[in-house]
Amino acid sequence: MKVSYSSDEERFREEVRKWFEDNTPPDVKDQTLGGSTLEHGLMFKWHKTLYEKGWIVPEFPKELGGAGLSETEQFIFNYEYSNCGAPRLKTKLVSLGMLAPLLLQHGTKEQQDRFIPDMLSGKTIWCQGFSEPNAGSDLASLNMKAVLEGDHFVLNGQKTWTSMADHADWIFLLVRTDSSGKKQEGISFLLADLKTPGITIRPIEALTDHAPFCEVFFDDVRVPKENLVGKMGEGWKLAGALLQHERLNAFPVGELIYAIETVRKKSEKTIYRGKPLIQDPVFRRKLAALEVDCNSLLYTFFRILSQLKVGSAPGPEASFLKVYGSELYRRVMDLNIEALGPYGQSWYNLEEFDNSIHQATMGWINSTSLTIWGGSSEIQRTVIATQVLKLPRK
Amino acid sequence: MDFQLSSEHLSLKESVASFVKKDHSFDRLRDLRNDPLGYSKEVWKKMAELGWMGLIYPEEYGGLELDFAFVMVLLEEFGRGLLPEPWISNVLLGGNLVLMGGSESQKHEVLPGVVSGDLMITAAYLENDGRYDINFCATSAEQRGDAYFISGKKIFVLDGLSADRFVVTTRTSESVADKDGITLFMVSPQEEGVELTPLKTMDGRNACILELKDVSAPGSNVIGEVGRGYPLLSEAIDQATAGLCAEMVGGMQASIDLTVAYLSERTQFGKPIGTFQTPQHKAADMFIQKELALSSVYYAIASIDEKTDERALAVSIAKAKCSSAYMEITKAAIQLFGGIGFTNEGDIGFFLKRAKVSEILFGDTNYHLDRYTRLSGY
Repeated sequence: MKVSYSSDEERFREEVRKWFEDNTPPDVKDQTLGGSTLEHGLMFKWHKTLYEKGWIVPEFPKELGGAGLSETEQFIFNYEYSNCGAPRLKTKLVSLGMLAPLLLQHGTKEQQDRFIPDMLSGKTIWCQGFSEPNAGSDLASLNMKAVLEGDHFVLNGQKTWTSMADHADWIFLLVRTDSSGKKQEGISFLLADLKTPGITIRPIEALTDHAPFCEVFFDDVRVPKENLVGKMGEGWKLAGALLQHERLNAFPVGELIYAIETVRKKSEKTIYRGKPLIQDPVFRRKLAALEVDCNSLLYTFFRILSQLKVGSAPGPEASFLKVYGSELYRRVMDLNIEALGPYGQSWYNLEEFDNSIHQATMGWINSTSLTIWGGSSEIQRTVIATQVLKLPRK
Repeated sequence: MDFQLSSEHLSLKESVASFVKKDHSFDRLRDLRNDPLGYSKEVWKKMAELGWMGLIYPEEYGGLELDFAFVMVLLEEFGRGLLPEPWISNVLLGGNLVLMGGSESQKHEVLPGVVSGDLMITAAYLENDGRYDINFCATSAEQRGDAYFISGKKIFVLDGLSADRFVVTTRTSESVADKDGITLFMVSPQEEGVELTPLKTMDGRNACILELKDVSAPGSNVIGEVGRGYPLLSEAIDQATAGLCAEMVGGMQASIDLTVAYLSERTQFGKPIGTFQTPQHKAADMFIQKELALSSVYYAIASIDEKTDERALAVSIAKAKCSSAYMEITKAAIQLFGGIGFTNEGDIGFFLKRAKVSEILFGDTNYHLDRYTRLSGY
C-alpha cells in the first residue's frame, strides 16, 4: 500500500498546479463556492482559455480533443483545478461531461462529428432536459410527448430546472414516444435546437437572486428524425448510461477541499477576542471535525482510483460520494459563514466589502441546492439501501 | 497512490475469517463474560501456532516479517467476530515497544515468547489526572545505586491481568506532562511492591490497575534510552491505534450485516420492516459512515507502512472518524433491532459495548480532534 503519488503523477500535479496558478485570471479565481456560477461572459472566456490549452476535456483521448489522461491524472487535474479557486465550468458540465461520452458510445458517426467539436470550442452550449413539473425524483413518469410524423418528431410539453437554458443553443431531451407499456419503456432520447419555432424559455429566479435554471415549453416543436440518439424507446437506458459517466465526477472532492481550506485561511486571519478565530476552542474543534470528514471522503476517492488503476470496477464505495459529499459541503459552507460573524448576513455588498464575503454568503445559499439536484439525498439513500445493502423493496 | 490489497493479504483475510467462524462465536463471548481474563488461553495458543503473533516481527525472532496491511486484514476479521484475544496489546503495544526500542538481549528475551504465545506483555501508561495524554506521567523512577526504584499508579492497563511483563512509563526528569524525561521500564508482576487490581471493561475484556511501590528495576530493564521513552511510546500507540481502527471497521461491517439481515426478515404491518424508508435511510447512513471509516483506516495503515511524516496525523484522523462512526452505527443498529437489541439474548449489543470501549481506548474522538489541530498547525 502506498499513500504518495508516483513521481510521474507528482510531476503532472506540479505542472497543472503551476499552470492554473499562472493562468487563472483574478476575476475568475476565488469568486465562487458551493457550486454557484460565474457571470456568463467570464465563464465563456475561461472556457476558451482552457480549450486553447487543450485542457477543456482532459480525460478524452487526444484524437477527440482531450489530453488522454489516465483516471488518476484526471483526478489530480480536477483536484488542482478546484484547489486554485477556479469555478465549476457550467459551459461543459452537461455537454462534454455527459452528452459527449454518451454520443461516443451510442450516437451515430454523423452525430459525433456534428456536435462534439463545437462542444469543445464552446461554440455550442448545451442544456439537459430531463426533469418535468411532475417528474422530479420519479423521472420515469415524465410525459412530454414526441410523436413521429414523417421525418420529424413533434414535441409538446414542458421541461423544468433546465440549467443555463437561457444561454444554451441546444438541449438533449428525454421524451415519451409510447405510453402503452411500462413507463420506463416508452422513453426516447432526442437532441433539439433551441432556436426551433415553438420553444419558449422562462428563467426561474433562485434564492441567489440569479436565474441558474429555466422552464422550457414545447409547443408543436418539430425535431428532425436524425436527432434521435439510440433507438426509439431506449431513452431510459441511455439516461442511465449517461449518469454512469459521473462515476468519479459524482462529487467534485477538490471543490470541497478548496472550500475547507478557505474556511481555515479565513479563521486564521479573523481576529476574535484578541486571537485568531482558529484558536477559539469551539471553532477549532468544529473545523477539525470537518477536516477529518473531508479527508475520509478524499481517501475514499483514493480507494476508487486504486480499483480503477488495476482495471476493476469501483465497489459500493462509489455509491455514496454524491450524498455524503453534498451534505458535507453544506456543513463546510455553514462553518464558512459562521467564521464571518456579523458579515455572514451580508448580501451583494460588492462595493463595500471584499469578495470573500460575497463568495461565502452566495456559496452558502447555493449549497442548499446541492442535496436536491442530481438525485436528492433521500433518493440516494433509498438507492444505497435497496441496491447496495439489498434491503427488500416490498 | 495504491490502496490495493494483494492476493497474499486476501488469503490471510480468508484464513482469519474461517478461524473466527470455527473457533469463536457469540455464545463463547457470553461465557467469557464471567471469566476474569475475558479470553481463552487455548484459542490464544492456536493463534500463535498459525504465526499470527509474529505477523510483523522480524524472522530472527520467529516472525513472518510482513507489511502493516496484514495487520489491517487480520484485525478487521477479529473485529467482525469480536474475537477477544489480546492481540493488539501484546503485538502492537508491549512486544512492539521492545522491538522498536529494546536492546538485542531484551528482544531475544521477549520476542520469541510473544511469537510463540507463551509470554504476555502489555504497556502501562495511563494515569489518573492525565485522561488520554500519554505524556502525562507522574510515576517516578528514582536512581539509587545501580537500580531504579519505581513508584506510581497506572490505570486501565490493557489486558494487564494475564501479563508476564509490563512496559511501564516513568518520569525520570522534567515535569509531569513533558514529553522529554519519560523512561520505559520492563517490569514483572512478581516483583516486590507490584500490586494488580483486576478490572473488567464493558465489552467483557480485562484491564487492571497497576500500583508500583518502590519497585526495584535494574538499569538493564530500561527500554531505549533514559528520558527518551516518549517517541517510542507514541509510535507504538499510533500503530496500535491504527490496528484498533481496522478492528473497529470490521465490527462496523458486522453490525451492518446483522442489521440488514434483521430488517429483511422482521415483519410488521404485513411486510419486512426493511421496506420502510426510515429504517432504509438509517441503514444507508450506517453504510456511508463505515465506508468513510474504512477509507481513513486505509490511509493510516498505508502511512505507517510507507513510514511517511503524516503517520500521527493520519492515525488521529482515522481514530476520530472510526470512534464516531462505530458509535453511530451501533447505536442506530440497536434502535433498528428494537427491544431485542437491548437484550443479552441478541448479538448486536456486543458491538455497542465494544464500540464504546474502542472509542475510549487510545483516546476518544475529542482527544484525536484536538491532537489533529495541534499536529496540523492550527
